[in-house]
Amino acid sequence: MLGFLEKVSNYTKEAISAAQYLVDGLGVTFDHMRRRPVTVQYPYEKLIPSERYRGRIHYEFDKCIACEVCVRVCPINLPVVDWVMNKETKKKELRNYSIDFGACIFCGNCVEYCPTNCLSMTEEYELAAFDRHSLNYDNVALGRLPTSVTSDPSVRPLKELAYLPGGIMDPHELPANQKRAGKLPNQIIKELQAEKSQEEDKKNSSDMVSNKLNSTN
Amino acid sequence: MNSGIDLEMSFTQGIQNLGLSHELAHLLWIPLPMLLVLVSAVIGVLVTVWLERKISAAAQQRIGPEYAGGLGILQPMADGLKLLVKEDIIPAKADSVLFTVGPILVLVPVILSWLIVPFGQNLLISNVGIGIFLWIALSSIQPIGLLMSGYSSNNKYSLLGGLRAAAQSISYEIPLALAVLAIVMMSNSLSTVDIVEQQNTAGFLSWNIWRQPVGFIIFWICALAECERLPFDLPEAEEELVAGYQTEYAGMKFALFYLAGYINLVLSALLVSVLYLGGWGFPISIDWFSSLIGLSIDNPLVQIIAASLGIVMTILKAYLLVFLAILLRWTTPRVRIDQLLDLGWKFLLPISLVNLLITASLKLAFPMTFGG
Repeated sequence: MLGFLEKVSNYTKEAISAAQYLVDGLGVTFDHMRRRPVTVQYPYEKLIPSERYRGRIHYEFDKCIACEVCVRVCPINLPVVDWVMNKETKKKELRNYSIDFGACIFCGNCVEYCPTNCLSMTEEYELAAFDRHSLNYDNVALGRLPTSVTSDPSVRPLKELAYLPGGIMDPHELPANQKRAGKLPNQIIKELQAEKSQEEDKKNSSDMVSNKLNSTN
Repeated sequence: MNSGIDLEMSFTQGIQNLGLSHELAHLLWIPLPMLLVLVSAVIGVLVTVWLERKISAAAQQRIGPEYAGGLGILQPMADGLKLLVKEDIIPAKADSVLFTVGPILVLVPVILSWLIVPFGQNLLISNVGIGIFLWIALSSIQPIGLLMSGYSSNNKYSLLGGLRAAAQSISYEIPLALAVLAIVMMSNSLSTVDIVEQQNTAGFLSWNIWRQPVGFIIFWICALAECERLPFDLPEAEEELVAGYQTEYAGMKFALFYLAGYINLVLSALLVSVLYLGGWGFPISIDWFSSLIGLSIDNPLVQIIAASLGIVMTILKAYLLVFLAILLRWTTPRVRIDQLLDLGWKFLLPISLVNLLITASLKLAFPMTFGG
């Protein structure tokens, strides 16, 4: 009998706690209703890509020496470097260069290893096309610079979460000239260097003091 | 008790004054409430769909429909229009007759159930004496339609969805009926008008929710299960069953399911407000209020205000419950099929039986407060 009663009371307790959890959950969803939507309304508003964003690759034809390092470091040997040997000058003569962005994984190896820095990453990510063959960019297409989100008058640029001041989650109502949370990388480097030099100074001065003490002895 | 505004009486009398016979006047009256029910049910669905999308968006910190009409208010219309002009596909190996009858059999009983929803003393289609019983009977037709469409689609997901829908409807019908039975026992009537009237003696204090709190919760859970709303949306669980019994449906037949689901939700919310929240009753008694101002309750102005207030109150209560259902949708995870049946048979059924027994004994012990 007692066992049965215990079972019943346990069951009731469980049911009540389940109901409590349900009410807690309802509180959470209800609280979300008064928060501002985080939506970025894409064609009209765009996030500013971060400074090391790996977008479509830019290529400068005139800088290229046709060394084919980009082809060798590419995971699938993607860039096509079309050159001929000019026998008179004994130099490579570049004719065409192309990268197929339908196959590129934007790893950035080519950009990293290019000896003449003729390859670089842009912040362009809108590469949609009706035909996959039109994603095969030749040197002319690769040489085009994308329109920046900040310079496009029809787009409202918004800062990404990491670039917002501390405590602010929403880029929409951001007051102008607000700095991001934390320090910039170059600031951190500067501070570290300053600390190092200070420590060295201290060491030197303490050495000098001990030297002096030694000398007086 | 005053009788309130009786539109049918005034309409037939007006027609008779034009020189037509009583029968002809009645014949002219009949299609009007039917049309009214269809229109109000569809408008109710449009509003509910819009609310669902907007509230869902707000609960997830999204914006939701925005460009179709102001604040996306025309979005459900656009959805409906799209479904209307979409190609109607019947799978090659499906049973075309059952495939067509299925969605109709789901929608028709739900719309028929609107017969018994009262918006005022005489503001309902027909005050049938067995009102609430009629609704329970009609709602048991629905699983047959669901099973029919699931089976005839000739698709394993559809079949599983149909079977689940039938199992769910059958197991939740019983506690639902028992919860309603406790109310019926207290008000000594199956008529929705009587049930509401019996609750409107002392404002919100006389609502049934205070006398039947357990019944209210049981009814609400069962109503959500009957509507296949999210904690209980197993029949169309998209992660496991594609779309359940709706998988093979497109165009207008799919729209019928869609419509039936939302009409059912609004209907359930309306019935909860009728059975437990005093229906058209204002939280403060109108009789008391009009006597406070010094106007007679039979004053036409008071009558019109009371009637419109009644409609507003019914709809307001119903939509508060719809809001709760939408919020619950984004709060609760879906239950498993064994949990669903456990909840229905091992929890709700015994509790509703105990609730019924306690109501009966309380009725014997305190006939004044629990309806003698």
